[in-house]
Amino acid sequence: MKLRLALCAAALLCAVPALGQDRGLLKLPAFAGLEAKASESVQVNVDSKLLGLACRFLNSDDPEQAAAQKFCTSLTGVYVRQFTFDSDYAYPKSDIDGIRQQLLAPGWSQVVGARSRKENTDVNVFILVEGGKARSLAIIASEPREFTIVNVIGNIDLEQLHDLEGNFGVPRLGIETGKKPDKAPPPPPPPPKK
Amino acid sequence: MSQDIENQLRRALRPVDPSAGFAERVMRALPESTPRAAPVVALRSAARPNLWRRLSTPAALAASLVVAVLLGQQAGRQQVEREQRAGLAARAELLQALRITSKKLDLAYQAVNRPAPAPPPAEENPS
Amino acid sequence: MKFESAHVDTDSLLRRACGGDASAFADIVRRHQATVFSIGYRMLGRRDAAEDLAQDVFLQLYRKLDSIESIEHLGFWLRRVAANLAIDRLRRVPYSTTYPLDDAALGADAEPGVPDTSEDHLMTRALAKLLGELAPAPRAVMVLRYQEDRDVAEIAAALDMPVNTVKSHIKRSLTALRALMIGARLEIS
Repeated sequence: MKLRLALCAAALLCAVPALGQDRGLLKLPAFAGLEAKASESVQVNVDSKLLGLACRFLNSDDPEQAAAQKFCTSLTGVYVRQFTFDSDYAYPKSDIDGIRQQLLAPGWSQVVGARSRKENTDVNVFILVEGGKARSLAIIASEPREFTIVNVIGNIDLEQLHDLEGNFGVPRLGIETGKKPDKAPPPPPPPPKK
Repeated sequence: MSQDIENQLRRALRPVDPSAGFAERVMRALPESTPRAAPVVALRSAARPNLWRRLSTPAALAASLVVAVLLGQQAGRQQVEREQRAGLAARAELLQALRITSKKLDLAYQAVNRPAPAPPPAEENPS
Repeated sequence: MKFESAHVDTDSLLRRACGGDASAFADIVRRHQATVFSIGYRMLGRRDAAEDLAQDVFLQLYRKLDSIESIEHLGFWLRRVAANLAIDRLRRVPYSTTYPLDDAALGADAEPGVPDTSEDHLMTRALAKLLGELAPAPRAVMVLRYQEDRDVAEIAAALDMPVNTVKSHIKRSLTALRALMIGARLEIS
């Protein structure tokens, strides 16, 4: 009996690191039906092993690859599903709802929920926080002819990820990054005394 | 229409030659001597009356060692090339994933930082 | 028959060049200089930059001759190195700053000294110029596809890109070029 208990405990202890590593990893379906309808599809699964391999081949002389090198020690996985269609809203919302359900689990919180009626885009950014640190990022972006799911695992630095924009073919738009100002704005001047 | 633009592209992108004397300029820029891997000596073509007798001589042993080393090097090179192909493919995947992540984060930031529409002007009190 | 003898001929050129025969290497350069130079030219938009690039490619080839396995591999290797080197050089400048293709590059079809104003030729020139509006990676895809006539799988291998990304670049670039051409056509007319 004691031996059995000890074996169970050992198995659990072995499982915990694996669970820890997969914490924040979303179960992304294959979306086989969507792939058939999409004009283009992207499916990327870079786990920690592939990430390590990729990082060995990054060339610091190339600005884009040098920017990517920053993530080699902090991230443990990057997963993407992106589908582009020739007509508007060719993808059913139910496909995305399954992912949203997973993001209701404890630890996940939505940091950005932005909807643009004009452009009909809907972007939601979620972070999984553990021990005061962001351990996983999920982005669900729904546009009329494209939907994208991104899941990034590791020590997440949103600012660093966003800073890739200049190097990764997205032009720097010179917009504020939404950082809160360090100081509160100055109070309005008092009315002049009569 | 699609075929039309593709044919026009093929016409527009016909190869062009560099200026005259290009090859000569390249040859002048080459290093004076570049070590070349010694080709495997034609052991195959040599006569081998008695394989055991030939292998037992020191020269033959040295030659067989060279062949073994070269074959080992070739296998090693093939392994390195396989790893390199796998690494480059992994790199392409990682870069594409990071590009998409960055673009979508940018979409979110743009939406968050878009100036809020101005509130409608307050109606004047009719009385 | 002609193709076969050319094939064998290049094979023996390769072997001789590997053995240190300088004239064999010079022949290899002459046979492939137009391909390598043109990739650089369409990517970088300037003859001098393209010649620098082409020279660097052949110098690299000279150092790596031992790793070239066959004529097909040689062609693939040259296209791969030329395209990737061009992308690297373009990326040192933000991609929104395009290199406008100089007019000398565009006049490949025109008879020297005789301005050809036929609309088709003007459109062809405009198209070559508009290629410079594309970002480095899709530009390289289009050059390998329409100048070198490579298939999607080979382009993906040459540029370390997933196949779907290559297809996406071709589709989007054709759409973008089509739209730009409509604008260019209005300007010309």
